[in-house]
Amino acid sequence: MIEITKRGLLAAVAAGALLAGSASAQEPIRLGAMYPLTGGGAVYGVPAMAGHQLAVEELNARGGIMGRKIESVERDDKMNPSAASATMKELITKDRVHMVLGGLSSAVGLGMAEVSKQEKVVYLATIPKTIQLTTDKLHKHVFRIAANTDQEGDTLAMLAGKYKLSKICHLQLDYAYGHDLETGFLKALPRHAPNAKVVLTLKPKLGATDFNAFIPQVMAAGCDGVISGLWGPHFVSWVKQAAPLGFFDKIKWISGGEIGSHEIAGELKGEYPDNVISNTYELWYHAVDDTHKAFQAALAKKLGTKETPQWALLGYNGVMFAAAAIEKAKSLDPDKIADALEGLTIKTPVGPLTIDPKTHQSNTGQFWGPMVKKPGVAYRVMDPVEFIVPKM
Amino acid sequence: MTFSTFLLNAFYGFGLAMNMFIIAAGLNLIFGVLRVINFAHGMFYMFGAYIVFTVTKSWGMPFAVGVVASGLGLAVIALFIERFLLRRLYDKEHLMQLLFTFAIVLLMSDAAKMIWGTDQYSVGYPPALRGAARFGAVIVPQYLVFLCLLGPVLAIAMWLAVDRTRWGRIVRAATQDREMLAALGVNVPAVYAMVFVIGSALAGIGGALAAPRIALVPGMDATIINECFIIVIIGGLGHMWGSFLGALAFGFVVQFGTVFVPNWQDVLPYLLMLVVLLVRPWGLLGRPELSR
Repeated sequence: MIEITKRGLLAAVAAGALLAGSASAQEPIRLGAMYPLTGGGAVYGVPAMAGHQLAVEELNARGGIMGRKIESVERDDKMNPSAASATMKELITKDRVHMVLGGLSSAVGLGMAEVSKQEKVVYLATIPKTIQLTTDKLHKHVFRIAANTDQEGDTLAMLAGKYKLSKICHLQLDYAYGHDLETGFLKALPRHAPNAKVVLTLKPKLGATDFNAFIPQVMAAGCDGVISGLWGPHFVSWVKQAAPLGFFDKIKWISGGEIGSHEIAGELKGEYPDNVISNTYELWYHAVDDTHKAFQAALAKKLGTKETPQWALLGYNGVMFAAAAIEKAKSLDPDKIADALEGLTIKTPVGPLTIDPKTHQSNTGQFWGPMVKKPGVAYRVMDPVEFIVPKM
Repeated sequence: MTFSTFLLNAFYGFGLAMNMFIIAAGLNLIFGVLRVINFAHGMFYMFGAYIVFTVTKSWGMPFAVGVVASGLGLAVIALFIERFLLRRLYDKEHLMQLLFTFAIVLLMSDAAKMIWGTDQYSVGYPPALRGAARFGAVIVPQYLVFLCLLGPVLAIAMWLAVDRTRWGRIVRAATQDREMLAALGVNVPAVYAMVFVIGSALAGIGGALAAPRIALVPGMDATIINECFIIVIIGGLGHMWGSFLGALAFGFVVQFGTVFVPNWQDVLPYLLMLVVLLVRPWGLLGRPELSR
């Protein structure tokens, strides 16, 4: 008797749940987000995820996408291609997300693009820069809104010309990003600085902390400038080991890898060296217009500091692109979302962005400029700031 | 390669070796006495670096105070771990101990995330060691000269402590036969605790001393633990001068290898270890393990 009662109760509860389900709004739109949240990549992944969350919160406050709430399914990509691929498969098959955003390392981005190809679910790469994503490994469902290594290499070459470098030492990290940035730079160099010569090329390994085998070689090579792709901790370790030797007194350091961001300047403070020209996606002290100002204010409120990190913008833009594409497609079908993303233009905090229908690459601009001392400011700031948008 | 660039690279190799020796010495000491392979040693190193950051940057204290604080901080953490957790595992098989120290790695990496967040940090050089030192045509950072001097001093101090004191004799006896030592009335658990605390404090001090030269990021523990194992294995597990020699071999191979065959920089330390393992499986200065 008791059994039956229990079963009846369960049935009633289940029926009730079903009724409630159909009475309330439709099921939410699920966006998978993957960034490194632990280990070395967390420095960038955590702020990128914060930007992702900010965009989801803003959209949900406005009523979501097509009247449906957005549910953000967030995972740690561990900055490891094989772990990231497994996690992404799980997001698609188990959590049934409608799109996947994120990735940070170029190697992870390539792995995620492969899963997206197999599972036929749209992957929007927000940070990985390797050119392969939008050339050799390009397929229907992969898109990128980060700058790519060809664009960054082109700007580096332009700056080599602008600062009249004649003998260049070339430093790149020994993995996908470094190799592709090297190619991008060398391709563009004859166009922008026909008289410049690369006299030395060195490739420290990814994650290297000791550069003592490289610093003397660069100092002995007699170059007037370094073109570098040493990002984040690599740059910081290089500075710490080279600056005592007067390395930065004579040599111009023109660098990709966003070492012009406030994360690096604010941490190195007085130790940030002279003669550095670099890039960043976003600068909290430099707003281009009121939309940008509003974004910075909202992010500052979310993170509890006005000195916000640049990476948040990429996570934020990813969600905004996803939302715009789904609205345009009026469907959650991956093929239709992919079609909608081709040629799509959205307004972002730093101006309009368009995804090229052929290459699936957006024309993401970056702020570039020299890092200078300012009286009364404890850290270096980029000044003058130039926003360079790549040609499509 | 001119003589002065050779000297320069030799100096850098030595500097790297001393930096690594300070860290690896603790790992080696712990293995020698406790027979525990402490995977958390890299994490202790990272904590040392982060503590020196907090003490110098957040509290504005001098660098030397930060180094001492790192040593003491890790001593306290190690004492807690040994007294309440590790002590229960001495009689268990190696796999259990490995899993345990790996669990400590995971716990501490989450704790570090809670305390310090995921930002990247930088620690300034102590003002007296900020510049460059000049030896003829060779210019090197003063701080690295300091590490080059500190390494041998530490090695000799450890050798004196282990070889020339009563406490050292007890520690050596503990590596030979702990049952007999206990039967002679020595408090073996206290000896073990002491060794674990000192070894861990060395990791903390090593991290603190490395901090001004590098960027502090989550995950900095992972590379260092591999390199420490290479050094300890090359030198001979549990042999103090062995890890000194192992560190030297590591430093010179990495430095000169990166200069001459840059494409092999990743592989060279492992290759070195492989050769040593093939020729002398017990390490350069270690002794073949006798069955007991």
